[in-house]
Amino acid sequence: MMRKSVLIALFILAHAIQTFAFCGFYVAKADAKLFNKSSQVIIARDGTQVAITMSSDFEGDVKDFAMVVPVPVVLRKNQIRIAKQSIFDKLDAYSGPRLVEYHDPNPCTPVRMFDMEVAEDFAAAPTTTNSPRFEEKEKKTVTILESYTVGEYDILILSATESKGLESWLIENGYKIPRGASEVLDPYIKSQMNFFVVKVNLENFKKQGFDKLRPIQMSFHSERFMLPIRLGMANANGDQDLIVYSFSRKGRVEATNYRTLEIPTNQEIPLSVQAKFGEFYKALYDKAWKAAGHNAVHVEYAWDLSSKNFVKCDPCPTQPPSYADLREAGVFWATQGNNGRWGGSDYDGDIFMTRLHARYNRQTFPQDLLFQETPNQANFQGRYVMRHPAQGDLTCDQGQNYLQQLHDRRVREVSNLNQLTGWAIASYNGYIEEYDHLMKNDNQPYLGPIPKKKGKGWVLPFGTGGPQFPNWMIWLLPALFTSFSLGLGYYWYRRKRMLHLS
Amino acid sequence: MDSTSPLPTEQRPRTGLQSFFKDARHFQIFYLGGFLIFGLLALDWQVNLAGYLVLLGTGLGVQAIGIKLTGKSWNSLKSALITCLGLCLLLKANSLWTLSFTAAVAIGSKFLIRSKGKHIFNPANFGIILAILLTGDAWVSPGQWGNHIILLFMMGAAGLIVLLKVGRLDTSLSFLLSFGALLFCEQILYKGWPLDHFFHTLTSGTLLLFTFFMITDPVTTPNAPKARIIWGIAVGTLTYILTLWFYVFDAPIWALIIISPLTVWLDRHFPYQRFQWLTSSPKLQHT
Repeated sequence: MMRKSVLIALFILAHAIQTFAFCGFYVAKADAKLFNKSSQVIIARDGTQVAITMSSDFEGDVKDFAMVVPVPVVLRKNQIRIAKQSIFDKLDAYSGPRLVEYHDPNPCTPVRMFDMEVAEDFAAAPTTTNSPRFEEKEKKTVTILESYTVGEYDILILSATESKGLESWLIENGYKIPRGASEVLDPYIKSQMNFFVVKVNLENFKKQGFDKLRPIQMSFHSERFMLPIRLGMANANGDQDLIVYSFSRKGRVEATNYRTLEIPTNQEIPLSVQAKFGEFYKALYDKAWKAAGHNAVHVEYAWDLSSKNFVKCDPCPTQPPSYADLREAGVFWATQGNNGRWGGSDYDGDIFMTRLHARYNRQTFPQDLLFQETPNQANFQGRYVMRHPAQGDLTCDQGQNYLQQLHDRRVREVSNLNQLTGWAIASYNGYIEEYDHLMKNDNQPYLGPIPKKKGKGWVLPFGTGGPQFPNWMIWLLPALFTSFSLGLGYYWYRRKRMLHLS
Repeated sequence: MDSTSPLPTEQRPRTGLQSFFKDARHFQIFYLGGFLIFGLLALDWQVNLAGYLVLLGTGLGVQAIGIKLTGKSWNSLKSALITCLGLCLLLKANSLWTLSFTAAVAIGSKFLIRSKGKHIFNPANFGIILAILLTGDAWVSPGQWGNHIILLFMMGAAGLIVLLKVGRLDTSLSFLLSFGALLFCEQILYKGWPLDHFFHTLTSGTLLLFTFFMITDPVTTPNAPKARIIWGIAVGTLTYILTLWFYVFDAPIWALIIISPLTVWLDRHFPYQRFQWLTSSPKLQHT
């Protein structure tokens, strides 16, 4: 009987947990362009069918552009298409971390509801890889499986039996590939992968009249759900940012060979951050990445975009993706439809979008990114909140209480700012005390220095963006485990020997 | 107290602490609980308190019903707790019903799917596989631990202590060595990936947890040491095949469920005394 009531209590508790509600008005966003050396990729995957769209932010002379991507299949011409750059900008704007604002109501006067303001805007950015022009000359270790031109790109699908041969073939044909590339190419060759090799067809490029290279989209079947990032590390030194917009049917996509963490979110921050929200997010990402031991993948956005879900974002920084956008992004299972209700979409289908952000380098990401689709349907967004103080007369008792709370909240906001970004906060005293002069009787609150939360400098291989606790505690557990275990092991070993002897 | 204890009678009665240390399950509970806390605090896992409570509540509840019906010792609640902690560490689901289902199936399988007085499947493993296959709502996050050599030390040391007690180190090592050797041959010797590529796979926390705390379940592994080594190698080889050739990201749990029924056959061909909890070292019985 007792047990039964415990079980019932558990289930009631279980039903009481809710997914937290998003709210507030969207003010600003931080987008992919903030990060140098950033690539953006869209992966739409259902079953074994996948469409990968790669955006190029190549800045130099287009005749120097070249890209080599290991692919698991032989791609035919009809599996390649050119996508619009605007789809990346749209997805970036839709899913980027956002700043939202609230206006405090004046406790001394009747309620004034929230106002909306809109502030700045950034935009998106993508991949660079190797180098230029080829003549169709064949070496015995390299086989050209396909050769065609799509839009402004001349594309070859190569298979190779030997990496040195492939390297010299690429060099002879004018691809400026980095030194030591053959070592990186070798494992892919032995994994029976082919190479998707691209350069710009100058004639077509001029004809198109675009000044920038457009994204390439490839569609194919593969059991492997992965992104080859290691080849890109050969020619880049330092860290590279990668933003993956993934579309799946069931739920969130996560990395299977690296930790996938949510970026710290839903924190109140000082009003002044609005002016430098991009910088703020960059610092925040940097800190989260370091805290995670430099080798985790962060979720920046996850949302159920299914036609049956009428809340496609909350708050919405831009229009959620439409049917045309999804098709452009390669979401091949979306079908045109019309859900006339408010918030309804112009498509049908189960679609879940996950935005992942990785910053990788050769040392911390020894393997290509492997992914899995999970049934995890929890929505998530990188959302930061600023609250405008109440306006007007605050002399009533509630108003005075409010001023005290405002002061305390600002202490919290500033401390959050420090904790999220690691920024110095000494200059924020004025912000905290801004409204203190309105307090009667000089019942001034605590005006001492801002209590600075201790940041974790870092911690083992792992990190934490979670609750604050001192570094030594994280060491404690493994140390305790290890020493306790070894001690006991020795004790048992001795005892067993003694038993044998007796 | 256990009548089969090999200890000389003059060593009894034991102090409370001694008899506490005698049961390897106490260590398993301590370590698995510790890993869970470590994951939540240091690795930023999502805290799913309600989920953990549901897993523990259902699992222990079903075990209690089982004990009532079969007249087993109440001590076996400890085994159920271990299974439930294992599920807390590995399984994720959107719905609490899925978690409840998993715990019920896991513990239920111990009572229902039996052969020669042993249950066939590792309960946590069986629960996870069934939840993934039947509910479509459950998943395992192999990346949640990250990959680090510290994990190898931590889990290895903790695992060592439990395995010395239950005498299943042979299973862990044969699994890890066979999987590691195959992986090394393919990734380093054949494909030419650098060494850190190889170690990245081998220091995955999920793999290590599996190695030291899941396949070592003394009841569902074969009784004879020789059979356990064969069994460990079989799981290791299958894990390798599923990972490298079929791109199954959570290969170990699938390999284990496939190999588990082999235990029945191995026990028949390699007769040996069955494992009993609450003996300080099973090997002592045979010396």
